[in-house]
Amino acid sequence: MELVGDTISNGSSSADPPVPAKSTLNIVKQRFKKDEDILYIFESYQLKGPEYVTHLLVLVSSESGGTYAIVSFSCQRTPLSSVNELVIGKVFAIDEQFKLRQDDTSSIAAQQFDLFSGEEGPIKYYYYPSETAKFEEFYATVVNCQALMTAIHLDTVLNFRWLNDYRQIGEVKQELKKRESEYMIYQDTKIYCATWNVNNKQCLNGSHSLRTWLSRSEQPPDIYAIGIQELYVPAKSMLSSTDAAADAQWINNMINSMYPGVEYSILKSYRMMAVFLIVIVRKPLKQQILNVRCNYVTRGIFNALGNKGGVAISLQLNEGNICFVNSHLAAHSGQKAARNQDYQGIVGGMSFEDGRTINDHDHIFWLGDLNYRLKEREPQPGPLDDPQLLLIDDELREEMNNNQCFIGYSEGDIKFQPTYKFEPNTDNYDMRRLPSYCDRILWKGTRIELLEYNSIMEIRQSDHKPVYGVFHVKIKTRDHAKYKRVQEEVLKAVDKRENDNQPQIEVDKTIIDFGRVRFNEPSSSYFNVYNTCPLQVDFSFKEKDIDSICEPYLQIDPREGSLLIDSARSIWLKMHADVRSISGLLRKIRTNDNFDILILHVKNGRDIFITVTGDYQPSCFGLSMETMCRTDRALSDYSQSQIKELMNNNSPHYRVTMPREFFLLIDYLYKQGALQQGAFPSYESRNQLKADFNAVRDWLDTWSQDPFPASVETAAQALLLLLDLPEQALLEPFVENLLNSASKQEAMNYIDLLSPPNRNVFMHLCMFLRVGIESGYYDMHQVAVTFGRILLRSSECSALPNYHSKCCAFMKMFIESDEELMGNGNDSGAGSGTRSTGLHA
Amino acid sequence: MSKVRSVVNRLHERIDYLIEKCPNMTAAPYNYNYIFKYIIIGDMGVGKSCLLHQFTEKKFMANCPHTIGVEFGTRIIEVDDKKIKLQIWDTAGQERFRAVTRSYYRGAAGALMVYDITRRSTYNHLSSWLTDTRNLTNPSTVIFLIGNKSDLESTREVTYEEAKEFADENGLMFLEASAMTGQNVEEAFLETARKIYQNIQEGRLDLNASESGVQHRPSQPSRTSLSSEATGAKDQCSC
Repeated sequence: MELVGDTISNGSSSADPPVPAKSTLNIVKQRFKKDEDILYIFESYQLKGPEYVTHLLVLVSSESGGTYAIVSFSCQRTPLSSVNELVIGKVFAIDEQFKLRQDDTSSIAAQQFDLFSGEEGPIKYYYYPSETAKFEEFYATVVNCQALMTAIHLDTVLNFRWLNDYRQIGEVKQELKKRESEYMIYQDTKIYCATWNVNNKQCLNGSHSLRTWLSRSEQPPDIYAIGIQELYVPAKSMLSSTDAAADAQWINNMINSMYPGVEYSILKSYRMMAVFLIVIVRKPLKQQILNVRCNYVTRGIFNALGNKGGVAISLQLNEGNICFVNSHLAAHSGQKAARNQDYQGIVGGMSFEDGRTINDHDHIFWLGDLNYRLKEREPQPGPLDDPQLLLIDDELREEMNNNQCFIGYSEGDIKFQPTYKFEPNTDNYDMRRLPSYCDRILWKGTRIELLEYNSIMEIRQSDHKPVYGVFHVKIKTRDHAKYKRVQEEVLKAVDKRENDNQPQIEVDKTIIDFGRVRFNEPSSSYFNVYNTCPLQVDFSFKEKDIDSICEPYLQIDPREGSLLIDSARSIWLKMHADVRSISGLLRKIRTNDNFDILILHVKNGRDIFITVTGDYQPSCFGLSMETMCRTDRALSDYSQSQIKELMNNNSPHYRVTMPREFFLLIDYLYKQGALQQGAFPSYESRNQLKADFNAVRDWLDTWSQDPFPASVETAAQALLLLLDLPEQALLEPFVENLLNSASKQEAMNYIDLLSPPNRNVFMHLCMFLRVGIESGYYDMHQVAVTFGRILLRSSECSALPNYHSKCCAFMKMFIESDEELMGNGNDSGAGSGTRSTGLHA
Repeated sequence: MSKVRSVVNRLHERIDYLIEKCPNMTAAPYNYNYIFKYIIIGDMGVGKSCLLHQFTEKKFMANCPHTIGVEFGTRIIEVDDKKIKLQIWDTAGQERFRAVTRSYYRGAAGALMVYDITRRSTYNHLSSWLTDTRNLTNPSTVIFLIGNKSDLESTREVTYEEAKEFADENGLMFLEASAMTGQNVEEAFLETARKIYQNIQEGRLDLNASESGVQHRPSQPSRTSLSSEATGAKDQCSC
């Protein structure tokens, strides 16, 4: 431990200059525990998509673990202003497999370096230094730390457990861990450890026979850990080495020999061959104990026979982890190397169900017949009743001093005589062996105080004397009331942080007003979004239930994006009520006061509604014949709300029989005579608006007295669109009936049911086309195809077989000069004629 | 065995779906056992955002601007020793946003329907809010009626008794509260959660239905096996 402490101070003195401004260091420090030192903070970044994410690579050392690691925090900006901005990304333990490499093979990524740690699996993480010049220094510091660690023995106290506080645990747990001191108290616990090599002797009869060994403490122990070696085991049960029940007689005697007047209960007993360990606790303590686990390691012949080895029991008492080990190490003088190896074998081989090893405990008690002897020396050792003198020759103390075994362990002062080897049933040493302190109790960990350590001379049936040790241990425990309070505070703080750290953006307006909007005239507008929080924000426009983010007459650019901290960007909206979207706009106007409401969604945050409005300048295009027949003045004189009212008017009363706009177009075309030749080229061409189209739009919408301002082709196109753009086809709701009509007479019955404006427009149109065809201006087939698909437009019927040819045939039927039709049509024809004069009047 | 696997896979898909659909959620270990989604609805100016703010921050927000959109707030509460994360969606009350806000009702486990005791018109509109809620949420959605601004007794236009009768007729939970003083605010949010939790305990809420508005989280996120999710529940709680 001390060695590690030295290297830390070396490391930090060499790293002093590069540690960034005090504030950053202080802020980062808040994320770590008291016994963790920050040696270096290296600013770097990672590429994440098109964005750079800053990472602070923090080189930390832990006093409790004796190890180093790099913790990578992502943060939104430097310098930091608050610890909340630090988000733990990755934790790299600087273990044997740890690698920090700079990739200089490719020129593009010349600055790139990667980190790799054994614990994280075969994944490398790439970083780029923010300041290239500092990389060398950072690299040297890290390499230095790694070198220091590998120089230390592998079986030492080093561990990376402290890193678990930074990995894979929730924010709440991290926070609670950090504030541990506020709710942790230490529960005084008495632990009684006892060990005895019983030399295969049967347990003595008499229910209190072990009391002299097990009831020595002044106060009642809370936990007993009793280890026995060379337990007598009948040969047939020798083979089942993990047989839990050892010898009922022994256990009974133990229980009966516990501190009198206190109720005890067996927590766990465990045996490997002749090595037996039992943990007995005060009854009420049992419910505070969790995760009781045990295991064994065989040593001895071929390291497998199990005549030597160790067993261990691990348990968690409140927040403290305790491990008891009972071991019987290699025997005989001169075998200290074998004993050391047995120790290493047990430390390296013992692991519990949860992966914990012996060293992963807060409090470790190692007892047993460790078999270390006094060194042979000439002349024979001094008086056997002077432990101080004898212990000068104690192998275990010497090996421990030389770091050959039990590194980090402590032992109390030995004030008793060597515990081996006695002539059975006497207190006389068997002088064929050098008397030695074979039976020992060692401990490692924090807050352990030895109260008593002694052997029992009065128990004589074995060639070993039993040994016991009494400890006062302060076990970490949560004060439930305090814990509850801290937990509540933490939850509240985490909630608040989550609410405060919610991505936030602001918009400079939530109503986008396009002002005057006209058919076939695009216009655009924009608003600005600002990132007002300390995080990068991703935004997007949310799909509404209609599967699109906005109405078809709107376009949004960009539809999604990211905003870095303190940045802003403009979002452009383009409004274009064209031939494809005008009916949608008019539908919207009929039911709403705005053009659209967009949902600007902030990822992981709120939604902002953006209302799109404007003042639509009504035009004849897109309006139904019925609506146009309700006007009493030019459409340019109407406002959006007035046209909305007209569109919602369902009364059967019309101001005129046929829209003036329609009549004006027909009239103009008719008067062009031969110039109309081929004016209706194809159905498809109607949507490719001519350059002078808007002049026609204004001429119609203002009831202009001026000469027609555009070409004949544009007039023809305007006529097609006037018929095609309304939401409903002119011949609805009878399109299906008309297409299925067997005769013209039958069809005529449906035509008569059309609204007067639609019927009049239809009849007038047919008459106009008939005249044009008769005059040779138009091709019958071409005209029938084009107008048929417009007047009989229907999404349902278009799936019918021969839909197109049926439309065409229907139109031909009504355009063709037919006596019968003329007869029937005369009424309507006359009607429209009257009206045309009326219009001219 | 393959059947079990397919169930597990479907569960994972569901979780992925929920994670994707659900803002404010991270894949990091969870600090809670359940997430309940709440919506707060009601006319403009009745104090919906202030109620949310009072609940999450324990403060009154004076001069609160009109909500133009949907705001989120979260808070972890405890019911019956279970940590529950409330994810609260505070909607805009303006009439013109009515159609857009309808899309937010989906998947709400609790609906807090708010009116202002000093403006009768906000009370009169409750039936239309209630119709929306009933039409757009799950039948087991808990609807809690809150008469806000109970601190403004002198300008009261709707009596407690009248609203209580309305609530009883329609099977709503009801309290008068004040976002300004904080009176009954905590109670309204917590009572709603208790009722939802009770519905879950009594099996009246199908947690597997995507629109239940409740997500159940095993305390320890485990993608390895069903059994570890089942046994990981108690002592490995990550909070």
